Amino acid sequence: MSAVVQLLLRRLGISLIVLVGVSMLVFGIARIIPGDPARIALGPNATVEQIAKLRSSMHLDESIVVQYGHFIKDLSRGDLGMSLYTNRPVTLDIAEFLPATLELVIVAGLLMIGIGLPLGRWSARYRGRLADHVIRLVSLLGVSAPSFVWAVILMLLFAFFLPLFPIAGRISDTYTIERVTGFLLVDTLWAGNFQAFSNALWHIVLPAFALALSGIGQAARLTRANMIETYDKPYIEMAQAYGFSGRRIANRFAFKPSLIPSLTIIGLDFAAMLGNAFLVEAVFAWPGLSRYGVAVILRKDLNAIIGTVLIISATFLLVNLIVDLLIAFLNPRIRHSQRQTS
Amino acid sequence: MKYWKAALAAAVFASTTVTAVAETVLRLDEVAVGELDPAKASDYADSILMFNVYDTLILPAQGGPGHTGHLAESWSSEGNSFTFKLRDDVTFQSGNPLTADDVVFSLDRMKALGSGLSYLFGVVESAEKVDDLTVTFNLESPYAPFVASLVRLPIVDKKLVMENLGEGDGDMKDWGTAFMSANSAGTGAYSVKSHNPQEETVMVKNADYFLSVADAAPDTVRLRYGLEAATVRALISKGEHDIASQWLPPEVVSALAKDGAQLFTEAGTGAFYFKMNTTKAPLDDANCRLALAHAFDYSTAIKMIAISDDISAGSAATGAIPVGMYGSNPADQILAQDMDKAKEYLAACKYDPSEMDIEVSWIAEVPLEERFALLMQSNFTALGIKSHINKMPWALFAEQVAKAENTPHISQLFVNAVTGDPDTLLYGMYHSSTPGTWQSPEHLNDSVVDEMLDAGRSAASPEDRAAAYSKLNARLMEIAATIYGFDRQSVFAASNRVKAPALTDASKAFGLDGLGFSFRLMEMTE
Repeated sequence: MSAVVQLLLRRLGISLIVLVGVSMLVFGIARIIPGDPARIALGPNATVEQIAKLRSSMHLDESIVVQYGHFIKDLSRGDLGMSLYTNRPVTLDIAEFLPATLELVIVAGLLMIGIGLPLGRWSARYRGRLADHVIRLVSLLGVSAPSFVWAVILMLLFAFFLPLFPIAGRISDTYTIERVTGFLLVDTLWAGNFQAFSNALWHIVLPAFALALSGIGQAARLTRANMIETYDKPYIEMAQAYGFSGRRIANRFAFKPSLIPSLTIIGLDFAAMLGNAFLVEAVFAWPGLSRYGVAVILRKDLNAIIGTVLIISATFLLVNLIVDLLIAFLNPRIRHSQRQTS
Repeated sequence: MKYWKAALAAAVFASTTVTAVAETVLRLDEVAVGELDPAKASDYADSILMFNVYDTLILPAQGGPGHTGHLAESWSSEGNSFTFKLRDDVTFQSGNPLTADDVVFSLDRMKALGSGLSYLFGVVESAEKVDDLTVTFNLESPYAPFVASLVRLPIVDKKLVMENLGEGDGDMKDWGTAFMSANSAGTGAYSVKSHNPQEETVMVKNADYFLSVADAAPDTVRLRYGLEAATVRALISKGEHDIASQWLPPEVVSALAKDGAQLFTEAGTGAFYFKMNTTKAPLDDANCRLALAHAFDYSTAIKMIAISDDISAGSAATGAIPVGMYGSNPADQILAQDMDKAKEYLAACKYDPSEMDIEVSWIAEVPLEERFALLMQSNFTALGIKSHINKMPWALFAEQVAKAENTPHISQLFVNAVTGDPDTLLYGMYHSSTPGTWQSPEHLNDSVVDEMLDAGRSAASPEDRAAAYSKLNARLMEIAATIYGFDRQSVFAASNRVKAPALTDASKAFGLDGLGFSFRLMEMTE
């Protein structure tokens, strides 16, 4: 069995244990939060009988261990129960809202990689010069303001005062796109409607930028710091002595080893964005899972809370797994250490 | 760079061309989520959906008290039975004709699901089909507000629902809840084209509606959910949104009005209350409660909710019953601060004012209430009474009020009459048989009030009901279980593309939350 496969299996095993732990933790915490979920769900006009009936149907009148048993039994059938917030199965809600958030987060992640890493590389290569100062300032701005502040600023600047982008939504009202994957950028292409695709792309620019700005700044700063450290290594000095061009040294000898910590951070940021996107989703009226997650927590919708947290946790673990594999691929020492351990 | 600019220009061009379509589109927003199943409807967004996708047997009369027939041509009552004659020209959006079976099924379904406002029909023993177009409701006991309750009984298409039953136990399985949460099964003037409870519901005009609908009524309606205040303001200013929800902060509504937006209003269904826990010292003494009620600065409270010079989110209260309902006082008899009387009542109170410490709570999700808490604190200080302010999340508040000993001295609440009838406003608040709920933090136990509430329920004629509630109003003012802050008026900022007579003209208003948003009565001007 190859070292990478062993790494993969070990990581999968750990992920499963983490997921079980998360489910138990969230299950417990969700029941400690003040407020009766049945009373909240049924609204202010519900009678005592209505509340009691709903509590019974949700097993809330049983012990927490028995409740967890019901949850695991249902989960094994792929049933996460009914959401008290939307009155629909939680699995249906997740299937409907997750693609919107994933699409936003993937585009934001691509922006982090496509803009953050080159900016960091450029800044390090031209250390102490004007470009470096400008990039550091912009990166600091990106990191220091939270994404919802950027969301409001970008919306006001580029949608309100300069109407270059739409204010809200995923696509203009006039398009009716048949849902296949739930990812509008994919579904529009699937339908062969390129005008709708450009419209969906046009809608995602501002929210994705707002969400990615902090990550772009972080990736740029980290890449710059790592590259500067790498520039002090003897092998760079040797490359310079050999007369390699500055561009070649930066790309081939300084950038690649500096990529590993940046990739780890981008991976963590990517997964964290799934949960943190709610304010950006709220500002841009983006019907995603993150916004749904906050709404269900406020309404103490137990089934939906657990379903949402489990999905975000699973995505978090999956992204980390992919990042670990990427790092193992990029860094032979990790593969070798894995082989020696086994 | 040139390519980027060209692509951007193409995208902007595409966006401007696609919006230039012939059909009229009305865009409005409400808080998430929109519940499409009318048997589960309880919130404002649910009501808007219900009143447009479904119809009811009767409707509140426009511009005044009483009700008029809608799906029902006429009705009569005998003892505890009410018989309704249905119109013979009504078809559901599916094409199925409306019959008495649909009415019976709608009631049975609502009672079986036990959600939303089904408690309104707890008194109904049975509904029976007399013939295809006649149905009789049999009540367990006299209940005068029954006719008013029918504005909350939307009639669903039995045949369509039965064809779409989901998984569940028994013959009726899930009563079609899975189907009804995503589809329309009504006779309404609008049918559902798409529905995402967190994003938006798209409705289109029903060409076969049994009443005539103006050509200018919107062809398509997009009801969006959960938009942020900043987003709504930007959208309305850019002409991309038509009616904002009532939940916008007053400052934003005011700013929109200054930018040229028109303001729609809806009033006469509820009020804002400062509820005093009548079981907790020192508020278990009526004199002490009366002292606080007279010390409250009502006029400043009204100024705090002003949107513009002539429109406010409330009007001065005249008593325990909002102006326009049975038993209300005339609109010019407004409540006012009277510190001299307050001091007199305080002197008669059995507790020492210097030892009082009143807990004034406010709901964390409603920041406006903090301002009222500070106003009360200031008013009470002027009377020599110490108080402290306590912020409480709604979930915690709703749990704590279940027990009198855990309920704060003063709780602030908006309460609405869900049917427009004073019974649905007052019975849950004040009758001693009602357990502690968010509506009754007074925990009142007053036999005179109980008798009057029961009299209001059993009175035979509208005149008798008005007299019963008038007496109740006087009694409630006498015991001062509540400080009546102001009669609530919902304010909606709107673009100038839309006309909504039911929300701008008092003679066409319905006096029922959400019914003013009947899109068939609206007109698009562009």
